[in-house]
Amino acid sequence: MTLAQATMIDPPVVSWLGIAPELVLGVGAALVLLIEVQWKPSRTAIAWAGGAAVIAAALLSVLLHARIESGDGISTFLPFAGMIALDGFGVFARYVLLAVAGLGLLAAQRMVQEAGTRAAEMVALMLLATAGFSLMAISANLILTFLGLEIGSISLYVLAGYVRERGNSDEAAIKYFLLGSFASAVFVYGVALVFAGTGNFSIQGVHDYLDGVVVFEPGVILLGLALLVVGLTFKVTAAPFHSWAPDVYQGAPAGVVGFMAAIAKIGGFAGLVRILVSAFPDLAGDWAPVVAAIAAVSMVVGSVLAIVQDDIRRLLAYSGVAHAGFILTGVLSGGEGTAEIWFYLAIYAVQLVAAFAVVAAVSGPSGSRSALSDYAGLAQRQPFLAATFAVILLGMGGIPLTAGFVAKFGVFSDAWAAGHEWVVIVGVLASVVAFFLYLRVIVTMYMDEPAGEAAAAPLGVRWVTSVAVVVTLLFGVFPGPLLDLAGRALPL
Amino acid sequence: MTVEVVIFVLMGLTALGGAITVVMARNPVYSGLGLLGTMLSLAVIYVSQLAHFVAAIQVIVYAGAVMTLFLFVIMMIGVDVAEDTAENLPRQRLVVGVLAAAVVGFAVYLGVSQGFDWVPAASGEPVAEATNGTVQAIGERLFSTWVLAFEATALLLTVAAAGAIALAYFRRRRAVRE
Repeated sequence: MTLAQATMIDPPVVSWLGIAPELVLGVGAALVLLIEVQWKPSRTAIAWAGGAAVIAAALLSVLLHARIESGDGISTFLPFAGMIALDGFGVFARYVLLAVAGLGLLAAQRMVQEAGTRAAEMVALMLLATAGFSLMAISANLILTFLGLEIGSISLYVLAGYVRERGNSDEAAIKYFLLGSFASAVFVYGVALVFAGTGNFSIQGVHDYLDGVVVFEPGVILLGLALLVVGLTFKVTAAPFHSWAPDVYQGAPAGVVGFMAAIAKIGGFAGLVRILVSAFPDLAGDWAPVVAAIAAVSMVVGSVLAIVQDDIRRLLAYSGVAHAGFILTGVLSGGEGTAEIWFYLAIYAVQLVAAFAVVAAVSGPSGSRSALSDYAGLAQRQPFLAATFAVILLGMGGIPLTAGFVAKFGVFSDAWAAGHEWVVIVGVLASVVAFFLYLRVIVTMYMDEPAGEAAAAPLGVRWVTSVAVVVTLLFGVFPGPLLDLAGRALPL
Repeated sequence: MTVEVVIFVLMGLTALGGAITVVMARNPVYSGLGLLGTMLSLAVIYVSQLAHFVAAIQVIVYAGAVMTLFLFVIMMIGVDVAEDTAENLPRQRLVVGVLAAAVVGFAVYLGVSQGFDWVPAASGEPVAEATNGTVQAIGERLFSTWVLAFEATALLLTVAAAGAIALAYFRRRRAVRE
């Protein structure tokens, strides 16, 4: 073979704009690390550099969205040899991920200050985690989905163990790392089995294979699908794969827990919805009962166990399990519920970051104990913080006129229409139970006698909670624009 | 007897010899060297199967990086430290022996009874396209179909580097303070 022949490589269609947000985040992370070494800027400057990367990525996502909708300058919607999909699904996922990253950076402001010489690594890891889950959301190939999942997850394992002065931060990181790696291994085993059964890594390819071929013995494919579902439901803390969440959320530094929890849920659900809805719609009869069972168990376990917690972080972790169940009910209706899932995820992610920002403000950014009794009389010590926290909790509980209600109504009505009435009934009962636990926190804040001194909430935290309150109330009263935007977030 | 069979037998024996050395050697450095021999023999077998890329990775990653790590650990712990050879699990040798015999027996049974007909037979002449595992073939795939996934692993490595610094640097800081 001559050299000319040997060097001929058929290049795939490259779409720079298609991966521009991830590129900006990756380059931003690298720049933050390099600038820190070279010029030793202040930690505030490092945090701002991270924020600038997030804003730039968001602007590029808007540009990409416009291009995708008009179709200008896009030769294929599956560039890089079908590795990623340029669709509304991926763009909306980026909006939510970048919003969480921006709010997460604001909420982590004080932790960045306290991280000392490791501030740059912290900001860089947050950017890289965002890039990883973003790759997962836009991926149209199971291998890239796995890579994105790992990039995101490994960043989060490190963030969980960032404050090593405390033993239980180490414990949280190790626990998260071991169980998370195990879940990733399960996921990649599922990828291997799906490949063995269908001969395809690409989501489109798996779908076409299942559409065109009558599989008489689908055992290998079904086992692969089951492993994929287990791997991803672990990441979104759905029961019975949730047992790591309370310990990790309790041990990890409060400043980043909200970011960690929210971003892993968004990435996990993006991957799960894309795989179930785009790759395996033909096997819906097989996976829908399983997902329904996981959703029901999550809602019940999360709501009931959250009530008996007396640590606010464990309480939020268990309520996160319940919310994962609520969101999963939207998956039951196949492709029909995608818009409602995204609406729910967007609202819940913002609320989650804000709720943990309040926790960080009350119990200190690197503290680990956040007993419910710390919140007694918070309304007198920190009226603004208590008021915003109350609105966020009511939104999580889903009372009417908050966005939480619209979100729950959306996923439940989809599941009802798809014929999963019993899951909806379980869900409504679970939300009533869950509502009590949010009320309990509010009652503690407003009715109990204040205990201890007031620590002033940092400006960043106040911004984050304000944004969450605006989102909760605005989209609760006028859900139209966001529902419309989410309605266009469909996978290719 | 083709050259391939000769290479296979020779390298197979070396690999087995190395593996036995790993288990039997009294001195851990010999164990390490035995492992090295096994890895290099396997690399030669890969080359004879035209899996050039896997062979190169075997040498660079396993024989190079992983072995160096092992030797570092051996040297750090010390070669002359007396080992505690008391066995806590009675009869474990017997159990392991029976299990190993069962596995080997099952493998032999499969080979004899099925005649390896579940292994796709090599069809006579080596075909011209038998370049699946060569560096070139893998390189072509890596930089065409899989180019994005390949580049995404760069992010993974950045995460690993930044994460290692973030977690390790802390202890040093505290050690200085104390």
